[in-house]
Amino acid sequence: MAKIGVFVCHCGENIASMVDTGNLVRSLSDHPGVEVCNEYKYFCSDPGQETVKRAIREHNLTGVVVAACSPRMHEQTFRKACAEAGLNPYMLELANIREQCSWVHSNKEQATGKAIEITRSLVEKVKRNNELKPISVPVTRRALVIGGGIAGIQAALDIASAGREVVLVEREPSIGGHMSQLSETFPTLDCSQCILTPRMVEAIQHPNIRVLTYSEVEEVVGYIGNFTVKVRNKARYVDIDKCTGCGDCIQKCPQKKIPSEFECGLGNRSAIYTPFAQAVPNKPVIDRNRCTYFKNGKCKICQKTCQIEHCIDFDMQDTYEEIEVGAIVVATGFQIQDTSVYGEYGYGKYKDVITGLQFERLASASGPTAGKILRPSDGKEPETVVFIQCAGSRDPSKGVKYCSKICCMYTAKHAMLYAHKHHHGNSQIFYMDIRAAGKGYDEFTRRAIEEDGAGYVRGRVSKVFQENGKLIVRGVDTLLGKPVEVAADMVVLATAMVPQPDAKEFAKRIGIGYDEYGFFNEAHLKLRPVETATAGIYLCGACQSPKDIPDTVAQASASAAKVLGLFSREQLEREPVVAAVTESTCAGCWGCVMACPYNAIEKQDIKDRNGKVIKQVASVNPGLCQGCGTCVTFCRSNSIDLAGFTEKQIFAEVMAL
Amino acid sequence: MSEPFEPKIVAFVCTYCTYAGADLAGTSRLKYATNVRIVRLPCTGRISPLFILKALQKGADAVLVSGCHPGDCHFTAGNYHARRRWTVFRALLSFTGIPEERIRFSWISAAEGAKFAELINSITEDTRKLGPFTQYQELQTIIETQSTY
Amino acid sequence: MGIQEQYRSEAASLLSSGEVKLVIGFGAGSTADRRRPLFARTGEEANRFVLDASCIANLSTYLLTEGLLSDGKKVGIFLKPDGIRSINILIAEAQLKPDQVVILGYAIENGQLTALEGRSVADFNGVNEKIRSLALPPAVQQDIERLEAMSPVERFQFWQDQFSKCIKCYACRQACPMCYCRRCIVDVNQPQWVNTSSHTLGNFEWNIVRAFHLAGRCAACGACDRACPVNIPLRLINARMGREVREAFDYFAGESTDQKPVLASFSKDDPETFIL
Repeated sequence: MAKIGVFVCHCGENIASMVDTGNLVRSLSDHPGVEVCNEYKYFCSDPGQETVKRAIREHNLTGVVVAACSPRMHEQTFRKACAEAGLNPYMLELANIREQCSWVHSNKEQATGKAIEITRSLVEKVKRNNELKPISVPVTRRALVIGGGIAGIQAALDIASAGREVVLVEREPSIGGHMSQLSETFPTLDCSQCILTPRMVEAIQHPNIRVLTYSEVEEVVGYIGNFTVKVRNKARYVDIDKCTGCGDCIQKCPQKKIPSEFECGLGNRSAIYTPFAQAVPNKPVIDRNRCTYFKNGKCKICQKTCQIEHCIDFDMQDTYEEIEVGAIVVATGFQIQDTSVYGEYGYGKYKDVITGLQFERLASASGPTAGKILRPSDGKEPETVVFIQCAGSRDPSKGVKYCSKICCMYTAKHAMLYAHKHHHGNSQIFYMDIRAAGKGYDEFTRRAIEEDGAGYVRGRVSKVFQENGKLIVRGVDTLLGKPVEVAADMVVLATAMVPQPDAKEFAKRIGIGYDEYGFFNEAHLKLRPVETATAGIYLCGACQSPKDIPDTVAQASASAAKVLGLFSREQLEREPVVAAVTESTCAGCWGCVMACPYNAIEKQDIKDRNGKVIKQVASVNPGLCQGCGTCVTFCRSNSIDLAGFTEKQIFAEVMAL
Repeated sequence: MSEPFEPKIVAFVCTYCTYAGADLAGTSRLKYATNVRIVRLPCTGRISPLFILKALQKGADAVLVSGCHPGDCHFTAGNYHARRRWTVFRALLSFTGIPEERIRFSWISAAEGAKFAELINSITEDTRKLGPFTQYQELQTIIETQSTY
Repeated sequence: MGIQEQYRSEAASLLSSGEVKLVIGFGAGSTADRRRPLFARTGEEANRFVLDASCIANLSTYLLTEGLLSDGKKVGIFLKPDGIRSINILIAEAQLKPDQVVILGYAIENGQLTALEGRSVADFNGVNEKIRSLALPPAVQQDIERLEAMSPVERFQFWQDQFSKCIKCYACRQACPMCYCRRCIVDVNQPQWVNTSSHTLGNFEWNIVRAFHLAGRCAACGACDRACPVNIPLRLINARMGREVREAFDYFAGESTDQKPVLASFSKDDPETFIL
């Protein structure tokens, strides 16, 4: 027999002034199954909770309804009180007679009537509640970090330094990401390589970090605490363990005129190559599509040059490995938008119209011009450089709607670097707004204008064309309301930051959400910025949205903190609101399997005594199930039910209204 | 008629958006009609057409089903599944003569307390105009007379 | 050679060659224009098959007979386009294996029979224009329009009158190839969502829930309608649901064997004009 305790809270005057609590108590006292019904000023207070606990013990209550505030407010409080009094915490319901009754009504009689109905229907529900236990899931305390840019490196280092194992997967031959391509970094103008390289080295030497470069995540299965990740180690044709990184093979390679990806096409590389001099690991890889041997079946000069036996192996194949991890940090970064959509800017047509990232390479001491800013067309020093901001960003018609966030700052930096290297140079920046929010940022742009002579023109550029060896930039100065033309020697486009081209496909593969562009979705933009909706998968860096290095690093450390929080326990406890299948009535139509947003429902064989499969039924993996109940509603034969919101409970609740 | 007709409205809502929105209406002290009774579910995906039928049986003059806006579902896709179900179920009810005005659907986020309050008021007002859903409620009385045999 | 003779001999050779263990078709019925199902296990029995314009039943429901297909052997079956759609849906819902069914397809147009080309399920995967065009008899369409022209009160009254006749015999469920659940929702008594006694409210609930469960799954064969002993026009309600999923989601039930169930899938662009 049900013995329900009903506890009506006054919440001071918050409830009592609009609901006749005495009447509520009288009405509920007579309700079948209600053993005890009390009212009190504040049930959430210590003495209030003691009253509840005492009643549970004295009356051997089988269920409790607290008619008070929203369950979002105090469900946990009273669950704990129930547990302390020996009642299963899930035998509790909160009747929300404050937020959804006393606070929103002004007619006391009607509000009281409503409060009685709310409470009564939850008494009927709680009679059918089941004792539930939180679900325990073991946690594999090893993390996977996908992406070896500054975000991934930082997250990996933070997790590893706290004593947990990390597998860092990078698809390029070296870690470092876009940051390794940058010259100086705003707002301090310290050299990017100088601050990044030590981190890269620390990562590869860290005893807790396994770095897998030239590798890609093929598949992720499992759930929080228990993921199995399939990684493809792409054939490098160089044995990374044997190679000493001497670089002789690179010197001897006959293919030398391959545009370097790292140099954004401004420099060349060989077919066997390391992407850049400070690459980590500093071991080369053979570009199969460009290698003479792979194309013609003859050459192998690199192999002949190599002093180490069997180090270069043309028969190497891709290998696959499966890695068990408990948490995943996605740090796959960004790409820059293909600027050729802006035909009017002449990118691709004129050699001296370049992207901001190409400018970084020109300005970099390790770059193709050894840090001299020279025109790609003729190698001359440009006298006038025009920078075009928002070349793609904030442009719903051709580019992207959002602000790429970093361009205002790096364009100011570019103007500064140019001024520092060409003292008499003239720089003009076409901009829409200068967005320089950040520590030391506004000061930085002011410095570019005031000390380094950057000329800011507020307005858009309509056309760039060549005339008499100059690039004529035609635009409008919207502050003066006049058209302007600048004869430039070089034009730098502040291209938009966009997601990796395969971001959406990748998100589907690992099971996280993404927005209309392909940036990955956080669980909550403000309050859960580094978690995804999939428990156990976290985000950091520009794969979530455009961001600069300080924000990226902060977010990387935040995701590491989330991972470490998860790894602080061997077992994970979860709300037991999960679905379960009644095997005997399941017809195996698999509608639930298709409807489940979490791939939490699997097909299970039912066998007879001899081990012969007689039928297949659905089976819910409680570790993966998040408890939405979509499957329950789909199932025509009511063969799935959701703990905490069972069909019986809801039926009773509705029928008591 | 001496007293104005007070309709009974049953709302099935998801806990993450609309229930939280209703809570926000409360914490903002917005006033709305007392006619609504809220049934809390984890997600709109859990809201079964059977619930609506039972609410009608229990004398609801209107039913509201509400959850997170598309794209905002806590469970990523529950509301998309729900939307399909509602499209079909609404057409079905309409074809059997259960007026569309009595079965209402909305997206109300956790931030839309005001929208919740306004919607409850407008549904209450609309349903007052429609009058009690006697046609369905009489089916119920047919049971009661039959069951006395 | 007429289509009946052609299919008799084809069924006979399927059976005698051992390709199928059984052919489900039509035999003579109790009156000149009634047919009853005939289950032939030998080439000789196949000679008793009748195929004419009276063979309107959707035989696919017999394929779901418990244990029939558990030995992995093949069964041949006479099917009209609606039956072929049913087969596609049943395969999409994992109730049948495509390689266990041999289809002897035929269509009836204006009282004339034509043989449908193809024998394997794959031949009919991606239902062709002909099958689509035969989806809904014009009379059904007209009845739906007549009902839709009524006011809700009149429509409710129409269905109340119809459903009040229902005796909850579940012949509709028995005849329907889509009602393969091991336990029907109406037989769930914890909780009892649908009232089982045959009063009007329970009848209303039963028929609404059944129509909902068939939305996007009904092949419009009309078996429920013909099975109903009190002549409730059940196919109207199911056909209306078929139109809804077609108009709202461009979904033609039974189009292919890998079709996702309409209510277990979604598109982010699904219409939602009615949502406030």
